[in-house]
Amino acid sequence: MSRALSQPLVLWGLLVGDALLGATPASALTWFKQLRAQAVERVGVLTVPTTRDEDWRFTDVSPIAMLSFQPARNTSGQTLVDIAGFMLPEVAARLVFVDGVYAPQLSRNDSGIVVANLADAVLAHASEIEAQLARHADFQDSVFSALNTAFLHDGAVVLIPRGVRLEKPVHVLYLATREAAASYPRCLLIAGAGSAATLIEDYRSLSEVAYLTNAVTEMALAQDAHIKHVRVQRESGVAFHIGQCVVSAAKASRYESVSIAQGARISRYGLNVQLCAGAECTADGLALIDGEQLADTHTTIDHAAPDGRSRQLHKCIVGGTAHAVFNGKVMVRRGAQHTDSAQASRNLLLSPRARIDTKPQLEIFADDVKCAHGATVGQLDADEVFYLRSRGLSEQAARDLLTFAFGAEVIERIPVAALREQLKAQALAYTHH
Amino acid sequence: MSTALQNLVNQPYKHGFVTDIESDVAAKGLSTDTIRMISAKKQEPEWLLEFRLKAYEHWLTMEEPRWPNVHYPKIDFQAISYYSAPKPKKLASMDEVDPELLRTFEKLGVPMNERAKLAGVAVDVIFDSVSVATTYKQKLADVGVIFCSISEAVREHPELVRQYMGSVVPAGDNYYAALNSAVFTDGSFCFIPKGVKCPMELSTYFRINTEESGQFERTLIIAEDGASVSYLEGCTAPKFDTNQLHAAVVELVALNDADIKYSTVQNWYAGDENGKGGIYNFVTKRGLCKGVNSRISWTQVETGSAITWKYPSCVLRGENSTGEFYSVALTNHHQQADTGTKMIHIGKGTRSRIISKGISAGVSNNSYRGLVRIAPTAAGARNFSQCDSLLIGDQCGAHTFPYIQVGNPTAKVEHEASTSKIGEDQLFYFAQRGIGAEEAVSLIINGFCKEVFQQLPMEFAVEATQLLGLKLEGSVG
Amino acid sequence: MIVNDSKTLLAVRGLRANVNGIEILKGMELTVKAGEVHAIMGPNGSGKSTFAKVLAGHPAYEVTGGSVEFGGADLMTLAPEARARAGLFLGFQYPIEIPGVANSQFLRLAYNTVLTQRGQEELDPLEFDDFVREKMKLLEMNPDFLSRSVTEGFSGGEKKRNEILQMALLDPRLAILDETDSGLDIDALRVVAGGVNQLSRPDNAVVLVTHYQRLLNYIVPDYVHVMDAGRIVKTGGKELALELETRGYEWESHPVATSPAPASA
Repeated sequence: MSRALSQPLVLWGLLVGDALLGATPASALTWFKQLRAQAVERVGVLTVPTTRDEDWRFTDVSPIAMLSFQPARNTSGQTLVDIAGFMLPEVAARLVFVDGVYAPQLSRNDSGIVVANLADAVLAHASEIEAQLARHADFQDSVFSALNTAFLHDGAVVLIPRGVRLEKPVHVLYLATREAAASYPRCLLIAGAGSAATLIEDYRSLSEVAYLTNAVTEMALAQDAHIKHVRVQRESGVAFHIGQCVVSAAKASRYESVSIAQGARISRYGLNVQLCAGAECTADGLALIDGEQLADTHTTIDHAAPDGRSRQLHKCIVGGTAHAVFNGKVMVRRGAQHTDSAQASRNLLLSPRARIDTKPQLEIFADDVKCAHGATVGQLDADEVFYLRSRGLSEQAARDLLTFAFGAEVIERIPVAALREQLKAQALAYTHH
Repeated sequence: MSTALQNLVNQPYKHGFVTDIESDVAAKGLSTDTIRMISAKKQEPEWLLEFRLKAYEHWLTMEEPRWPNVHYPKIDFQAISYYSAPKPKKLASMDEVDPELLRTFEKLGVPMNERAKLAGVAVDVIFDSVSVATTYKQKLADVGVIFCSISEAVREHPELVRQYMGSVVPAGDNYYAALNSAVFTDGSFCFIPKGVKCPMELSTYFRINTEESGQFERTLIIAEDGASVSYLEGCTAPKFDTNQLHAAVVELVALNDADIKYSTVQNWYAGDENGKGGIYNFVTKRGLCKGVNSRISWTQVETGSAITWKYPSCVLRGENSTGEFYSVALTNHHQQADTGTKMIHIGKGTRSRIISKGISAGVSNNSYRGLVRIAPTAAGARNFSQCDSLLIGDQCGAHTFPYIQVGNPTAKVEHEASTSKIGEDQLFYFAQRGIGAEEAVSLIINGFCKEVFQQLPMEFAVEATQLLGLKLEGSVG
Repeated sequence: MIVNDSKTLLAVRGLRANVNGIEILKGMELTVKAGEVHAIMGPNGSGKSTFAKVLAGHPAYEVTGGSVEFGGADLMTLAPEARARAGLFLGFQYPIEIPGVANSQFLRLAYNTVLTQRGQEELDPLEFDDFVREKMKLLEMNPDFLSRSVTEGFSGGEKKRNEILQMALLDPRLAILDETDSGLDIDALRVVAGGVNQLSRPDNAVVLVTHYQRLLNYIVPDYVHVMDAGRIVKTGGKELALELETRGYEWESHPVATSPAPASA
């Protein structure tokens, strides 16, 4: 069975009574300290999941538990020049975290709303943050969430006031630089009634080294809010990435997300969206992996009230001996009548040793609903390959192009042009032999 | 839910009577002594007793599965009687059957005598723990088909039983299969030799009659090269307030070019409208497509049992072999069903097809759980799955858990699922065209299940349609 | 056509109805005589479709007051199927899809219940096939409609044509067509209207429920009623529809007085 964490606590870089606890940004904020203390306590009780846990059947995280990662305490002094290649044009605000530590010299905010580091924002906007922080991402049962919460310090806070509609996106860049570092990025987005914004979370690294990212994002959408969320995980190929995002969508609000997983040796992303009456959600994803990578995506779309609508398209392109996992649960609770949900899992295996495990699942407790899901695993369409070849492309070129097109369908849904083009270029490079 | 619908789904169980017949019932409890007793009563050879004891040993080390989406109190395996047989135990011909028994099966609509001949179906009847009669034996023997109870097969054809029993479902496969391997009492055996197309439908009828007995039957069907057979089983039980355990094991082996079609119409007692009583139907059914171009097709119509936990599966080892699963599962009141299939593709060019139709009513929960695994060796494998749910009322649940595991890039797997309902609007549309609720529901259900019913042998398609009717039709309020 | 001294088919008096506790119909008055074509127009939410469904007996609506006589009998006491068998047909705005049930099977079942009601012999599948194909020509329908499941995967136009085909088969005394024109292109509209016109006789009647005047270019009504807030607020001849088309409904939303339909005056 799972092993208790009491001993590996040290491995995870957490020492009970660690000076970190004392380093809470404002000692006056007792709730904040208490939150962390509760999380520390849970870390001591919870166990690291093993492949005997149904939810982790295909994702063996024991290699992570074996290694000793230490949280960084300070940034290594990068300049804007160092991160030039990681910036996006035309953003309303940019927050940069290096190895989990806020880098003010690399960040800027022209948005007119609060886009700030948690350690600062928690003082200025205490009540607003207290009402939402750690209220969505449960840390009672998840050891990764508990660890992240235990390390709460720096993190992105985006507060969009009622009725404010941001034209340009907010860019949060999580940059890894150090070998064996553990970072615990946190992001909290609170969208007021009728507000609108686009949030980009981008996980990247400066060098091909092994490290651990254990991220938690929480979003609270008030009535009629409309949030677009782009999550790009392009960690170093030998890194470990465990991330989760929990979204609470109030009445008639709308959450649209595109998540791309192409980095990390082992990655796991959990997306959990709860929809209130009349709320809508699209949750699209693409895993584009190769070599010995493992990319695991677990999503839960929870129709908790009537008249919700959800759409999901998840695609995996798997090469080498890589292994992609998708587990997409759509839940329709009792009384959530007139739910309209559609989910599709589409998968392409590129090599004889690549592997895919997909499990789209429906759990329905209401009768007046429209729910459908589908999953396919297959190859490129032979007629399409033939058509391209009849137009003069070599078979390889035809296959490459069609593989690219398969992935591009998801990338095209990213609402930020510059990022879209960047990712398409990367996908093109990946798919061309 | 409208009152019309409510009336429709609350039909009484018509097979719930108890036959008053003298039975030889073993004392409750399970131990190596119980197993030795069963083995001795059946005058079994030493190897079979060893098979049983080994399975029991293994079972003791195992835990009850908790992953199915079903909930029930812990079963006390010491409170079950593992052997119950009507006296006299064995009969030379149909004429010797206790008239009370004959009346029982007459009442259940099972063709055992004249009607059997008219229907042209050979029937093996299992009453509690033992086979009470097998019809048409001689006619089948003439073409080389062996159709008898498994106890008889152990005596008459030990080499065949020994070769194949446990070869598809190993004794330690899962908790209930291990239990069955230790204590199984009877079941059907069927052997179709090389090149023979079985000239008639074979059928086994299972009946639990004793309140505190479990039924642990074991069925083994072997189709040699080029052979084919169509087989049907039916199940009923009386109404008791307690739950009875039914833990069967069915093994099918299809050699080169062989074809086995296995159909089940399961109508065990489902418990009353408050969820009291009913059968726990924990069954392991698996077919091995061992030879090239072989085919195994499962069709099931599951309407009974308090809890159903079964996944008739196909292991597609032979090149270009085919596995099929067609299922209708209906749950009402407090029934729980977690059923589906496993298609394990090992051989090149193997194909499988899954059509599952779940109907939930009352406060029941109906889950489809299916695994499609494409092993790295299964180049060019194909699977298509379609899993539809129909909900009647807003207090029931319909769940779909497809597990798709693909390890070969030339495979093609497709899965689709959808939900629909029978509600006020649907019934109103029919009513507006002059069609009453009862007929409307029956039409909708039959339309919904059409693809599965088409797979059943003609007579049984009618039976299945009527069965669903029993559950969902009746007086309209 | 307006026929002097023809029989009253439908008499609606002070009809009130609720859905989920909200009153939608607030004293509907309408009289339809044999041979007549009526159009009920009005803005969205005025209660037009509710009226149609209440007449057909949809269980979601609770009748709280008033009376409806159909052919001299109290319609409101009848079950929906009894109303259908008595000759009341509702063409649905959104016909229901019934996967797995062949259209021919459904049509034959519906048709045979009508025959049984009239004391006639049921048609067997072959006889019915000949009969239905004849009717389908009228509506320029493709015979493959018959083998497909009831409206599953039908286009909007096909669904509506299928409704009119059912009307042709069931030969009702009163047909209420709820927004039959919505979602139809001009060709489909012409075909559907042609079908309705051919089915019109001196002994039956049609009530068209519609938002737009368009349909009335093809089916000429004897009376046009404007509905607002659960009542008929104005009644006129076919020219009223054109007036509504050019001036919209707004000018009618604050009526001074309710004028009853001339036919009932």
